[in-house]
Amino acid sequence: MTAQPNRLPPPFGLLIDRDRRVSFTFEGRRYEGFEGDSIASALAAGGQWVLSRSFKYHRPRGIMSLAGHDANALVQLPGEPNVPADLAPISEGLTVRAQNVSGSLRFDRDAWVGAFARFLPVGFYYRAFYRPVGAWQRFWEPVFRRKAGLGAVDPAARPADFDKAYGFCDVAVVGGGPAGLSAALAAASQGAEVCLIEQAPLLGGALTYARLDLQGHAAAEARRALLGELAAASGITAMTSALCNGWFADNYLPVLRGNRMIKLRAEELVLATGEIEQPAIFRNNDLPGVMLGSAAQRLIRLYGVRPGARAVVLAGNPDGYGVALDLLDAGAEVVAVVDPRPAGDASRLAAAVAAKGVKVLTGRMIAEARPGRGGRRVAGVRLAELSPEAAGRPAERFDCDLVCVSAGALPAYHLALQAGARLAAEGAEERLRITGLPERVRLAGGVAGAHALDEAITQGWNAGWAAAGGDDTAAAQPHVQVRDDRSGLDVAAPCPLPTAPLGKDFVDFDEDLQVADLVNAVAEGYDEIELVKRFSTVGMGPSQGRHAALNTARIVARATGRDLAAVGVTTARPPVMPERLGLLAGRGFEPDRLTPMHHRHLEAGAQMMTAGLWWRPAYYGPESERQACIEAEVRAVREAAGLIDVSTLGGLEVRGPDAAEFVERLYTFGYRKQAVGRCRYLLMANEAGSIIDDGVACRFAEDHFYLTATTGGVDRVYRTMLWWNAQWRLEVDVANVTAAYAGVNLAGPRSRDLLAGLVEGIDLSPRGFPYMGLREGYVAGIPARVLRVGFVGELGYEIHVPASYGQALWDRLLAAGGDAGPRPFGVEAQRVLRLEKGHLIVGQDSDAMTTPEEAQLAWAVAGKKAFFVGQRSLALRARHPSKRRLVGFALPPDAPLPQESQLVVRDGEMVGFVTSVVRSPTLGQTIGLAYTAADAAEPGAGITIRLTDGGLVRGQVVTLPFYDPKNQRQEG
Amino acid sequence: MAEVKLADYPRRSFVHRKLEAAGASFVALGDAAIAADFGDPAAEAAMASQLGLADLSVVARCGFKGAGTADWLAGQGRRLPEESNRALRQEDASLIARLSPDEALILAPLERGETGLAALDEAWLAGREAGQGPQGYPLPRRDSHAWFRLTGEKWPGTLAKLCAVDLQPAKFPDGAVAQTVAARVGVILVRDDIGDLLAFHLLVDSASAAYLWDCLLDAMAEFGGRPVGLSALKSLA
Repeated sequence: MTAQPNRLPPPFGLLIDRDRRVSFTFEGRRYEGFEGDSIASALAAGGQWVLSRSFKYHRPRGIMSLAGHDANALVQLPGEPNVPADLAPISEGLTVRAQNVSGSLRFDRDAWVGAFARFLPVGFYYRAFYRPVGAWQRFWEPVFRRKAGLGAVDPAARPADFDKAYGFCDVAVVGGGPAGLSAALAAASQGAEVCLIEQAPLLGGALTYARLDLQGHAAAEARRALLGELAAASGITAMTSALCNGWFADNYLPVLRGNRMIKLRAEELVLATGEIEQPAIFRNNDLPGVMLGSAAQRLIRLYGVRPGARAVVLAGNPDGYGVALDLLDAGAEVVAVVDPRPAGDASRLAAAVAAKGVKVLTGRMIAEARPGRGGRRVAGVRLAELSPEAAGRPAERFDCDLVCVSAGALPAYHLALQAGARLAAEGAEERLRITGLPERVRLAGGVAGAHALDEAITQGWNAGWAAAGGDDTAAAQPHVQVRDDRSGLDVAAPCPLPTAPLGKDFVDFDEDLQVADLVNAVAEGYDEIELVKRFSTVGMGPSQGRHAALNTARIVARATGRDLAAVGVTTARPPVMPERLGLLAGRGFEPDRLTPMHHRHLEAGAQMMTAGLWWRPAYYGPESERQACIEAEVRAVREAAGLIDVSTLGGLEVRGPDAAEFVERLYTFGYRKQAVGRCRYLLMANEAGSIIDDGVACRFAEDHFYLTATTGGVDRVYRTMLWWNAQWRLEVDVANVTAAYAGVNLAGPRSRDLLAGLVEGIDLSPRGFPYMGLREGYVAGIPARVLRVGFVGELGYEIHVPASYGQALWDRLLAAGGDAGPRPFGVEAQRVLRLEKGHLIVGQDSDAMTTPEEAQLAWAVAGKKAFFVGQRSLALRARHPSKRRLVGFALPPDAPLPQESQLVVRDGEMVGFVTSVVRSPTLGQTIGLAYTAADAAEPGAGITIRLTDGGLVRGQVVTLPFYDPKNQRQEG
Repeated sequence: MAEVKLADYPRRSFVHRKLEAAGASFVALGDAAIAADFGDPAAEAAMASQLGLADLSVVARCGFKGAGTADWLAGQGRRLPEESNRALRQEDASLIARLSPDEALILAPLERGETGLAALDEAWLAGREAGQGPQGYPLPRRDSHAWFRLTGEKWPGTLAKLCAVDLQPAKFPDGAVAQTVAARVGVILVRDDIGDLLAFHLLVDSASAAYLWDCLLDAMAEFGGRPVGLSALKSLA
């Protein structure tokens, strides 16, 4: 366990709870921090400044922004790569590893690459490894794949629970700093429902860490005042540790919070996203110990960690002087403040720094940071004079272990630009501002260029007031009064761009891109910013150009002789920050549908299979006895009685004066003359004349049909019906009642006897209830619709009852006959039974082109009807007779069993394919359905099937049905 | 109310297995058995005001749809909401949700059983036999849909994880109806407060009821919600 040598005493450490110690390991070594510490802050407290190795040159990298903005701080957690150590909290026992390390973090084997950087310019791989042919794929690509990427995915990691939620508000405010708080208060004062979204664990933004005044109290006072008003306000939902990671049309905002993505729909949006402090360009500007001034302030005020003992501050604006004062308060020695501006800074903060005896050097810039032993921390700086007159003076050098850079800032523009705004250059100096916002999106605070605190608060108030629909002239001023000693604050003014002849002056820290890389890219002809990005990969790393975009634009502008506005920045797209894939996946919703008898099937040992969203029993019994189970079920139906759950069959009520006309138009057969109390086969074609569904039409009354449809097809059939009647305007109502009815098919020679003791109000005699008859009555005391149909080719009754009685019906039918009751059978046995009977299954034995004629269903097409859907197409297709037919075939007993989809061939050419094939337990031979050549479809013709191994099986086309050709069993 | 055995009732809720697994004890309600409680009526009553989920699938309900429905129902003394996607309490304490100009869903009151609705069915049949004009067509709502009662203030936040409709009390007023999707299945949501307590009816495809029941429990877990029985619901009234 290490001590915490850099921990500062209270009151520093707004986020930490010193009463709760937390220990964790980093690179195998134990560290201690406090609850509230981030991984990076706890490591810094323990004296560990190197967090990772850089992507290309494996240079040691440490804290840069401490705001989750940079890739330096990405670390590996168990089960999760690329975690920002400066945001992720520590927890007891957490194991943290450094990323992109070859060997160890301290001694990286690949650090030599940096020494050869001048031989590895941007794009070197494009032109170095393409020869000889094949070398890239066989050798180089595997090498680079191994080197590429940062963290490692652990395939054995236990998946975490992620989910999504929808959110709604009148006004969303992104950014919980002074402007955002003020905007939320103003909007809520108008009665709006407000969502305030803040990425940090605390509200207050810069007020939680920045220094506004000489005493260093004003920020905290202003924050207290704003939070006090927030606590008293109603209608504000404040979300901390919440990241708004994109803008989509109509203010649809993905807000990431923990393991949840909130899909927030906001009527109005106020972006108070603040500014992103920018790094300065000098040699070795990436050394651990070189950090943004705001990062040092975050360490001090949020976590109570002293960022260094001897500091040099690069102060391009008054905030830099605030950093110097904070460092002094934290007990650090400030050896120099370097101000590039010839006249220095006129603020009271600057005066206070000078009054404390700190050396302030104006008109100078840091030219180089010097690494200490092993290159793992900055050990000093060398300055350069900026004015030509002073160019000859000897360079000043200072020893230090900390360099704080307050050298300008860029509006946090990402969300605004995603919403359609643009970045425009302002004034003669290289400053950018956001223009061209769309409707319902407003800016406030730093992102809108309001650097002074009172200006940010007023701007936020006005934006929130307007977003809530308030009258501009009536906007009351916020109550919070602030002291701000940063007079003349201009944080957007950028630092000079010196050149470092020896390189290692990094622009994009993610990708190890140096100034020369970008200059060379321009020299290569990639002189537009989007081309520079694609050639050099600048801005493509995890930080998405937050620290590179401005300096890249300035470098390209300088190299091309254009102004900053003409160069611009690359397109801003979601996500703003890297996001975990689990958040995109969310919780998986996989609906399924159960019949009322589902659990009875499970209890009976059924192996279940899916049919669309439904679960159906495939067969009953162990998987190891699959074939025997299926054959036993088939025999039970053929020899005694079986019971199958057909609740999944579609059910459609068609009612109204035009019901018969409606059915007549939608299906190919004739239904106008169908008698009440009778069933009739249904065949549906699409407009192309192809078969799309089948079923049974049950006519309960002149104006009432109950139509069944296939399990997988009913939703489509229902939609088709609604679509057509939207045009026909027939007096008919269609209702999809599929789930409202449970259904069973009681089939087999004993089915009548079994049913006899259970029915009320139905005459089961062959004359009283003939084949294709339809009755209503009671079965086992349950109101039922009974259809005498014969899909499996035996005497049988399809019984439909209200779904809530489904399980009771099943139980009572199975109990009928005692030990000689029906045997449950599954879908597999039904497939065998129907195939023995020669019945096709739409979708299995038909494809997208199958016509009734091809499927030998021409008898189900009423040729004399005035109209049915598909009729015209069938007439047209009949002019070019189809070359294929669906036929029944039988194979010799010793022939190998073909598989479905295997080809039917003739003279080596494909003429069709097998759609269904089984060894029939009833017939003792292999039978099937297949498409074959139309001129070889007559019974007795040969049929040849090619097996997977190329072998051929020869059989014969036979007359359908295979079983009970005179239909005596089902019609008896 | 005397406890009864579920096995004695042929009509079953579509989630009766879930109820049994959760330890429900049942009491008779009309022609079926309904979960009275899950072993801790007092805790359920407390939770019902926060985040309670009750299964009312065996309670009577019906629906009518098609040309003439609205006029016919008005002729039967029923008051339809003026607009679609609104629900209106009736004099007999049933609730009519108007799903379209000529489609109505009628939910029986928990206290009164199905008496009033059976009379409607009979009136419809009588009208049909008498050859009256268009009077719509009955829908088997008691079997096509499961019926859940969602009670408590935490439901808008809970359903936000499943459903894209803004159900905040200020945006989805009492009597509002949404025909929408929750957890990728179609649902009918009706806000029908119990006194001052926020409450919804949720109707879902009966075959998907078990799936959605689990989804609701999963979403409720974050807030400590639980299934509640008839006793808890009655304690809210």
